[in-house]
Amino acid sequence: MTSGLRFPTPGIDERTDMHASPSPSTACWNCGGAPGPGHFCAACGKIQPPGDGGYFAFFALPEKLGVDREDLERRYLALSWKLHPDNFVRAGEYERNCSLELSSALNDAYRALCDPVSRAEYLLERHGVRKEGQTKQQAPPELLEEVFELNEWLDELRSAREAGSRGAETSELRERLEGARQAFEEKLAAVDAELGAGFAEWDAATDGGAGDAARGRAMARLNEVLNRRSYIRNLVASVTRELENDA
Amino acid sequence: MSKAVGIDLGTTFSLIAWMNPASGKPECIPGPYGTTLCPSVVSLDVDGRVVAGEAARRRLLTQPARTIYSAKRLMGRGVEDVEDELKIFPFRIDPESRNVIRVRLGDRAFTPPEVSGYILREVKGWAEEYFHEPVTRAVITVPAYFNDAQRQATKDAGRLAGLEVLRLVNEPTAAALAYGLDRAQRGRVAVYDFGGGTFDISILKLIAAGEGDIYQVLSTCGDTHLGGDDIDNRLLDLAREEILRDWGLDLAPHSQVLQELRKAMIAAKHELSDAEETTVRFLLPEGMAYVRRLTREEFEALIGPIVERTLAPARQALRDAKLKPEEIDEVVMVGGSTRIPLVRRRVEELFRRPPHVELDPDEVVALGAAVQAHILTTGVENALLLDVTPLSLGIETMGGVVAKLIPCNSTIPASAEELFTTGVDNQTGIDLHVLQGERELARDCRSLARFRLPVEPGLAGLARIEVRFTIDANGILQVRAKDLRTGEERSIDVQPSYGLAEPEIERMLIESIDFAEQDFAVRQLIEARNESESILRAAEKSLADPQSAELDSGERARIDAAIAALRLASEGEDYRQVRARIEDLNRETMHLAELLMNRAIASALEGKRVADI
Ligand SMILES: [Zn+2]
Repeated sequence: MTSGLRFPTPGIDERTDMHASPSPSTACWNCGGAPGPGHFCAACGKIQPPGDGGYFAFFALPEKLGVDREDLERRYLALSWKLHPDNFVRAGEYERNCSLELSSALNDAYRALCDPVSRAEYLLERHGVRKEGQTKQQAPPELLEEVFELNEWLDELRSAREAGSRGAETSELRERLEGARQAFEEKLAAVDAELGAGFAEWDAATDGGAGDAARGRAMARLNEVLNRRSYIRNLVASVTRELENDA
Repeated sequence: MSKAVGIDLGTTFSLIAWMNPASGKPECIPGPYGTTLCPSVVSLDVDGRVVAGEAARRRLLTQPARTIYSAKRLMGRGVEDVEDELKIFPFRIDPESRNVIRVRLGDRAFTPPEVSGYILREVKGWAEEYFHEPVTRAVITVPAYFNDAQRQATKDAGRLAGLEVLRLVNEPTAAALAYGLDRAQRGRVAVYDFGGGTFDISILKLIAAGEGDIYQVLSTCGDTHLGGDDIDNRLLDLAREEILRDWGLDLAPHSQVLQELRKAMIAAKHELSDAEETTVRFLLPEGMAYVRRLTREEFEALIGPIVERTLAPARQALRDAKLKPEEIDEVVMVGGSTRIPLVRRRVEELFRRPPHVELDPDEVVALGAAVQAHILTTGVENALLLDVTPLSLGIETMGGVVAKLIPCNSTIPASAEELFTTGVDNQTGIDLHVLQGERELARDCRSLARFRLPVEPGLAGLARIEVRFTIDANGILQVRAKDLRTGEERSIDVQPSYGLAEPEIERMLIESIDFAEQDFAVRQLIEARNESESILRAAEKSLADPQSAELDSGERARIDAAIAALRLASEGEDYRQVRARIEDLNRETMHLAELLMNRAIASALEGKRVADI
């Protein structure tokens, strides 16, 4: 079997244009008029095929990271009412397909924008700063020492377990690991605060119509914070897993 | 426009319902036997005619080799998937079946969608009889945890029954819709659906939006191999073990006796839903009697582990919905097994609130399907369902690892795009393997389909094929590919791993077309005459039996009159008349049938086959 290689490979994503904007509305498939914004033709009311304006534009939201969750949910539910295939059971095939594509795009967009971290990841991916599913699994330099120590303890715990010792013998080690986990969890909280600051920086740059340089700086910072966050999160998860295995 | 119906295609029973405009409420439609429950049983007549429902169920005992029940367990599954089931259910699998099972009934082989198609056709007939007009469009329910192949098989069954399947709806979601319509509740709802063959749990959020009510499924979890049947099997095992222990009698070769014993144990189970204790009395071959007192306490200890197995998916569904048990506002019970007091108690303990049992747990799913059918045909006016996909969708990558594209519990429709290229020069195609499941390795997941994307030969890495995977509102996969270099777009003909290919369905449709094309009344008349013929034959055969001497003269005269009346009606053109006379004859021969049946069972217990009597 010849396997297909999966991308992403740098430089081929069509959506890496920094100025990607909703594709200019072409003519309505039904009446030939200008469909205007939204997902339905302003003239004849027919559903239109999805454009490539991205997730924020889908909800008619500016491309900003500070998102009011309740407002987003209201927009999501209102669009669901209009776009869901249940509305198009009796429509023609073309309209049914538009509904299927739009409502799946709506659900994908909502899932991506609901959570702040996936929202930021999506923004960076859309602007080509970050590749989907690809995060640097390199320890941030300032954490190197602690990570090194932590890995040693984890190794000790594993070999102690393999040697059959449990409970009391490893309790001191477990305490140390528990302490380290708490320390890393605190760092995670600090990183989340940094992420919040990164959101504000991006939103300010967007609001102020800042140039590419400022927007680029904001995205680079966000990307760095996201990588660090992902690294620490994995670390906390692996310590938790080991402690549970040992319990 | 014809009326659209909702159908609950169940493991043991199927039901059909519609939205009654007079009451504004969904109602189940009763069949010719007065009940709304249609046994999900299909039987092949000696003369090649297929019967479904109660008529087929009555043949389970007398013609087991021509009769099948619980066919839903086989839907969308391959032979290797059902090995465990085969130990318990006497399916006669055609040795030539591979990825689509073929079941032998007499001298013919049927696929599970065909068998289910006959059940759908039967209940469709009930509705046509009730409305006096043809029924062509339906919403059919499926267990929430059904995978793509099982859903596709259900859709195929609908097509084979001459139905346009407007939508497949998940059973627990349908149940929530049936309840919600009645109660106008808002908040978070858990639907605990413990049916004959499957267990499902769904957590929903009911939202009052400006436009109407939104039923948003937050998560779903379940086990397609856990149901009331497992409880019945546990009880049957107990009896078998004790019979083996006390008399050294192994019932394994006595399939008819086992069927009867199973029925007796099920009756005991039903009694223990109300009574604190019951006694099973069962006549064994060689005249021995198995008499067993069973208390509810012992029953609960026996089935406790099975009930316990439903709680893990329930907790998982809560975790996936990011909710704690106490954050659930309402709990809804669905499925016959939720009548068992232990089940109710354990569910109440988990969610810390008494569950709703106001609606008939057997009917609630069909009622919800009728509501959805109404919504789909009249327009989304007051309710919208947002359901989720129960299983993650992924593709196989290097080393047999699965790359997840659409996570489980994503709201459907959902989609994902992937870009593919060639790995070696002059490669003519890219092979893709699509899977469903939560495990990391392809071999632990469910294979949905393999297909090949054709590419123009060229340098490795030059091709750019964008593939879009979409799970539609039925939970069924669609695949489209786009060549980014040429802009050419095409839909991919996905050959399902465990399903009927389109040409096979076409062939089955053609085979049944003479049936489907006929005008409704003509079809009804033919069916009624056929039934009349076999009933007349059976009646005459029974009257020739020496056992019939036990009838008193009045009974005998009434039977003879009913036979004459049925003959006369069959010569006419009104199928309603024929049906009415069939009912008359059935009623008059009830006692005779009992006399013969008692003797048949007695003979069977002596180890003789009924056909030899
Ligand atoms: Zn238009």
